[in-house]
Amino acid sequence: MSNSYLRFWGVRGSYAAPFATHLKVGGNTSCVEIRVDDHLLICDAGTGIIPLGNALMKQNELREMMVILTHYHWDHISGLPFFVPAFSPEWKIHFFGPGQNAAEVEKLFSNQMKAPYFPVGTETWLANVDYHTVSNSRIDYGPIKIKYNNVHHPGVTYGYRIIVGTKNIIYVSDNECRFLEKSINRKYQEFTNEEKEIFDEMKKEEYQAELDLIKNADILIHDAQYTSEDYELKRGWGHSCYIDTVNLAIDAGVKELYLYHHDPNYDDETIESIHAHALDIVRERQSDLKCHIAREGLILDLA
Amino acid sequence: MEENPELMGKTKPIIAVVDDSPSFRSLFERSTDALGIELLAFDSAEESWAYLENNQPDILFLNIIMPDKDGLTFLRELRDLPLHRDTTVVMISSKDYAQDRSIATELGAIEFITKPMPMQTISDVVLKYTEASNKT
Repeated sequence: MSNSYLRFWGVRGSYAAPFATHLKVGGNTSCVEIRVDDHLLICDAGTGIIPLGNALMKQNELREMMVILTHYHWDHISGLPFFVPAFSPEWKIHFFGPGQNAAEVEKLFSNQMKAPYFPVGTETWLANVDYHTVSNSRIDYGPIKIKYNNVHHPGVTYGYRIIVGTKNIIYVSDNECRFLEKSINRKYQEFTNEEKEIFDEMKKEEYQAELDLIKNADILIHDAQYTSEDYELKRGWGHSCYIDTVNLAIDAGVKELYLYHHDPNYDDETIESIHAHALDIVRERQSDLKCHIAREGLILDLA
Repeated sequence: MEENPELMGKTKPIIAVVDDSPSFRSLFERSTDALGIELLAFDSAEESWAYLENNQPDILFLNIIMPDKDGLTFLRELRDLPLHRDTTVVMISSKDYAQDRSIATELGAIEFITKPMPMQTISDVVLKYTEASNKT
């Protein structure tokens, strides 16, 4: 029988939130484990990768993994300097992330472990490490098929479509959805009729592209960092309002949505109220979408 | 419309646009219709490569988020080619983020235009960096 599962090890965005008021949801930053038999894929290396690394050191079945990063912002890399398997000669680790070539990917992975920011560099890693780039947006890791797309977040940032058996898992940790549509709406009255006609079409194209990014998702893990009030204050930080995320998932026909990359300022109670409102939206729109909160420790069966 | 005598005998400026959005390419075409330029529009970095590998346009307009290669990574690759070390590049993107502007500047882009922009903005940039002239 196949041993396939997905586990959330870190669900916060921006910075870790190890506060007593936050721990029902979890305090670690972005990290998701996908396990398919003897293949292990890790999405992002926020602080959640630290307890995952510690757990991996206690088992004997696996000694190889692939780690893919969406981008190199702190909340997605800050667990790497404390990821124990990287310091162990028993492990082989494949790293992949945005970059022009393998040398650049290595540099981007390694830069945070340099003086004066950290006491030891990646040259102290004893694992057999290699860095990958691909030219066709696709990577295969054993039975796991991975494709990346560019998403709406500062700098070059990827969203991943990960196919395990017949399941499509979409991992889009950081994405400011419906950004262009809102930009057009804000300036709409300044445009001529000819321009309005073109921008109306551009909004449709952009929305279709956003739907295409997540279409056929059995499991969508998507940025839902802000409430609508906070989104107005943080527009341009590269994150979504959860209301847009829920509506996008409904429009795309997603089966299960996991609201992810929670704002570290939101305690458990606030996130429960976000979830309650998200469920109201699903009901009001008479959708079949199953909408969940991504919580640290939550395991999804992929078999 | 009359030909500008100053441009008589000169070849038209070549403007290349790489953007997957058909509506943006249409906006660009309408914005530059009267400028006497030769417009080459491509819908992906990959599609533009056959031309850019061996040719330098007068201005290259480059979108950032595209389905295949993002415009910033593509520009980095182009800058590695001697042919494009000094190519005039204008970024055009919905990504109104300081970080993207900063990367584009590091890569030598001379302008960063955010969508949506009026048609006048596009024609002004073309006129600013080429010898094209508005014939209307």
